Amino acid sequence: MNIITTVSEVELQGRFDAHEAEAFRELADNALQNSADLRVVLTAVDFVDSTALAELVRAMKRCREAGGDLTLVKPSAPVRVILELTKLDAAFTIV
Amino acid sequence: MSSTAPDSQVSLLAGALVDANDQLLALYELASITADSLDEGEVVTRILLRAQKLLQTDALILNTATPYSVGEPSAIDDLATAQHSDFAGQSVVASSTCTLDTGQQITVSALRRESEFGTADNKLLDAVATMLAGAVNTARLHEVAVTQAVMASDHETASQLAQSALPRWLPNLPGADLFARSEPARSAGGDLYCYEVIDGVLHFAVGDVSGKGLPAALMMTNVISASKAAFHRHSSEGSAAMLRAVDLWVHRSLSDAGMFVTLLLGSFDPASRELQLSNAGHSPVFLERNGVLEPRLAHHPPVGVLPIDEPEQSSEILASGDRLVVASDGITEQMGNDGGMFGDDRLHDLIDANPKMSAAELGALLFDRVEMFAGTAPQGDDRTLFIVNAVPEESNE
Repeated sequence: MNIITTVSEVELQGRFDAHEAEAFRELADNALQNSADLRVVLTAVDFVDSTALAELVRAMKRCREAGGDLTLVKPSAPVRVILELTKLDAAFTIV
Repeated sequence: MSSTAPDSQVSLLAGALVDANDQLLALYELASITADSLDEGEVVTRILLRAQKLLQTDALILNTATPYSVGEPSAIDDLATAQHSDFAGQSVVASSTCTLDTGQQITVSALRRESEFGTADNKLLDAVATMLAGAVNTARLHEVAVTQAVMASDHETASQLAQSALPRWLPNLPGADLFARSEPARSAGGDLYCYEVIDGVLHFAVGDVSGKGLPAALMMTNVISASKAAFHRHSSEGSAAMLRAVDLWVHRSLSDAGMFVTLLLGSFDPASRELQLSNAGHSPVFLERNGVLEPRLAHHPPVGVLPIDEPEQSSEILASGDRLVVASDGITEQMGNDGGMFGDDRLHDLIDANPKMSAAELGALLFDRVEMFAGTAPQGDDRTLFIVNAVPEESNE
């Protein structure tokens, strides 16, 4: 039997805050049913708050527990600043 | 040409009119029952008792999740048996079904041993069933409303208890001019600050638990407890040791809850003017030294993200007039009427433009400016400020 794992990719746009966190959680949980690896494209995200960051951390932990990883793809400048200020850039895989 | 109705027809018509009038009166009496009680058991039993009398039945049963019945025990048994077996024996059974707001069906059944049910009786039984459904709906809505009110009250009490974990008084510490205030966006928030003076040294923690509301507030109290324990057990080892202790204490519970806390732990010794900081993801943190105001970046990701195995700390000797300003993102991320954010730069510039202010004056100014900036926009997140001014030791004795 061959097991083929695919990398799921989620692309977000605009503000990513407490109002969007639940929708992201549902999306990430669904994606993680198909793959332990998740790529979250943040190029078009202009703001993340602490609730959104907590959702990204939660998804990252779920990926790693399943043997995969969560990758933040091309975060926009404002998002990158927040990641650096909170030192979360040291916790995430960012490409 | 005229005709005269036979006496028998007049008698039947008069009887029907009397019956109809009796039904109307019966409905009126039934309706008056539901208006004065919201207890399901009480109002259902009263309607059944009244209906039993009006319908002249030997037993009535209402089948709901909790069945109700009135009548002689043997008649109730007969009715229950008849319902299950479709056997009425020498008696007559009638029933009517209604649907509750929840979609659940209720059936009211009646038993008469000595006469049959007529058309009017069946209509009255339908009216009784409708009345019972309305009463059950109202009683259950009332019960839900009461439960929600109790939960809201409990939530408010828990929120107040959580917020009471924040210290209300600032220590009078010669050599340190202090300000601390937290304004939650809701009745409870996840922002925190706490401090202790141990052997003349101020140890403090400022943080922000991710998320909002009561869950964040409850976790906040846990972090405050861990920080205070760390002050007492590990302050002599430095701020990094305190951060390590807090991380060991709360990492697992935060991680399991899918939360984290940005946390700055520090110590300021007014005698030596040494300021130690260990910062796990907290921002913004500004330190002004010799008139130069600069942000201080975090050493580690927030507590709860990854275990902090080897915590770092910074240490510097302040001069009189130097100051530390720690805010929460509820200050810098406050939205204004124009849709823009207050921002780190605006906070930096306000601190920079007021170098001679006391900690209390600067704190009040910053809160005022954030409120002015917000205008009619709602408070988006908890707002917290913690300020330490290094001052000559005799200045605030």
